[in-house]
Amino acid sequence: MLWELSIIELEGIYTAYEGDDKPIIKDLTLNIDRGEYVVIGGPNSAGKTTLLESINGLVKITHGRAAVCGFDVRRSGHDVRKKVGYVVQNFYFDPFTPFNTQQVVMMGRYGRLGLLKRPIEEDYKAAERAIRMVGIEDLAQKTIGTLSGGQQQKVMIAHNLAKEPEVLLLDEPFSNLDFSAREFLQAILLDLVKGGTPIVIVSHAFDGLPDIRIHLVVMNEGRITKDICCPARAVEDIVRKSSLRQ
Amino acid sequence: MLEPLIANNVVCHAVEAMVFASIACSILGVVISRMNLASIGFTMSHAAFAGASIGMFLEMNAQMAAIAFSVGVAALIGPISDKAKMAADATLGVLFALCMAVAIFLISYMQYLGKGLSASSLLFGDVISLYREEIYALAAVSLLTIIFVLLFYKEICAIMFNMKIAQASGMRVQVVYYILLFIIALSVALCLNIVGGLLIFVWLVTPASIASQFCFDVKSMFIAAPLVALLVSAFGVWAGFEYTLPIAPLVALLLTGTFGLAVMLSTKRKVTTRRH
Repeated sequence: MLWELSIIELEGIYTAYEGDDKPIIKDLTLNIDRGEYVVIGGPNSAGKTTLLESINGLVKITHGRAAVCGFDVRRSGHDVRKKVGYVVQNFYFDPFTPFNTQQVVMMGRYGRLGLLKRPIEEDYKAAERAIRMVGIEDLAQKTIGTLSGGQQQKVMIAHNLAKEPEVLLLDEPFSNLDFSAREFLQAILLDLVKGGTPIVIVSHAFDGLPDIRIHLVVMNEGRITKDICCPARAVEDIVRKSSLRQ
Repeated sequence: MLEPLIANNVVCHAVEAMVFASIACSILGVVISRMNLASIGFTMSHAAFAGASIGMFLEMNAQMAAIAFSVGVAALIGPISDKAKMAADATLGVLFALCMAVAIFLISYMQYLGKGLSASSLLFGDVISLYREEIYALAAVSLLTIIFVLLFYKEICAIMFNMKIAQASGMRVQVVYYILLFIIALSVALCLNIVGGLLIFVWLVTPASIASQFCFDVKSMFIAAPLVALLVSAFGVWAGFEYTLPIAPLVALLLTGTFGLAVMLSTKRKVTTRRH
């Protein structure tokens, strides 16, 4: 364990993909504390998804210091990913995918379990809890590929909740959801935040944010252009103005 | 092993070889087809083919050379894909071409030197002239494949579901992926003498594709695929001896025919006509 103050500490990090002559993330510094609701906004190609994948070590950080959940991301990305949930953007599961909802949610526990270890009662209970939290009990035995986009999105959220993450990263989590499902998901996220789990959301849809103080991060061309706390109702306006100014 | 059941030694060896090859290849095939890595089959088979050619050229044991070269190629697939940031399929394409070139070059050169090598046994296999040791090796690799699936079942399922999501959930996917490549290399190299470098692809892909027409979960696919391969192969060996037909191509044709039938009968393709 390295640092204990913030759960996510990024200091002057650079992230580059192999073959690119310029880094995607440039000299980025960001601290996120427990129980924060963080929204990352900004135009397309601002580096928002890359930032999420730098936090959990899926993308290589080339320079700077990054600590998440007390682990150095550059050295122990694997340990970080065991503790950080990540709902990815744009997934597609074909109708022949041979896994049902229950199995997919259970897979969320596998990283924590480690190699060669079998799930125990506690893991099955965590998966059941996650299914109940997201309200997909009726889909538990259905093959994931036969579900609608919105239902698959819910399954992937349950997959990450089953992990009981210390941090939850979500990339466009509302993109496939209807109005009531969005409200339902926002209520789940708010409960997590109240329980001390920080939520980091990349989104273009700011309506329906919970009525709490939001830690807003606006990005453009791989840099943070705004890092403030503001009321939920102000988020859309701030992001729009910041994006227009650039 | 099956001597008490089959009196004729040659037939007995052929059945045993086919049974073990079916088990190993079809179990691996379930993973390969789900991960869209079908091209791994022909790359590995041609790696074994190239390895056997090198072995013959250097006057070494062809099968050992085939195993060594296949394992070497398997060890290259992962790192090359990672380093070159290429899709695994593209890496497999490059390695396939390399293996084929090495094999053809050496076979042509040996013919030029007057060594008179026939590549037909490497390409098409020869199930009736196997040594007992080769069958034991096949039995061992079948057992290794089953143990691999049982030990790493949850990791294999997660990789088959989605590699990136498995990685994001903190699983050591790379370790399991590299072991998988190693076992595929070993199985393919050992099966080269039975079904040959060209037909091995059928054992790796077709039984899993047949199983996927009826199975809704991975567990049943891991049981159904080897069962189908085993039954069809055993029948093929019997028919081959009974009617004096080439065994490996016959089994390949039978498996493909079964696949066609499975597609027609698949419950997954049925559309309900119910109104309520």
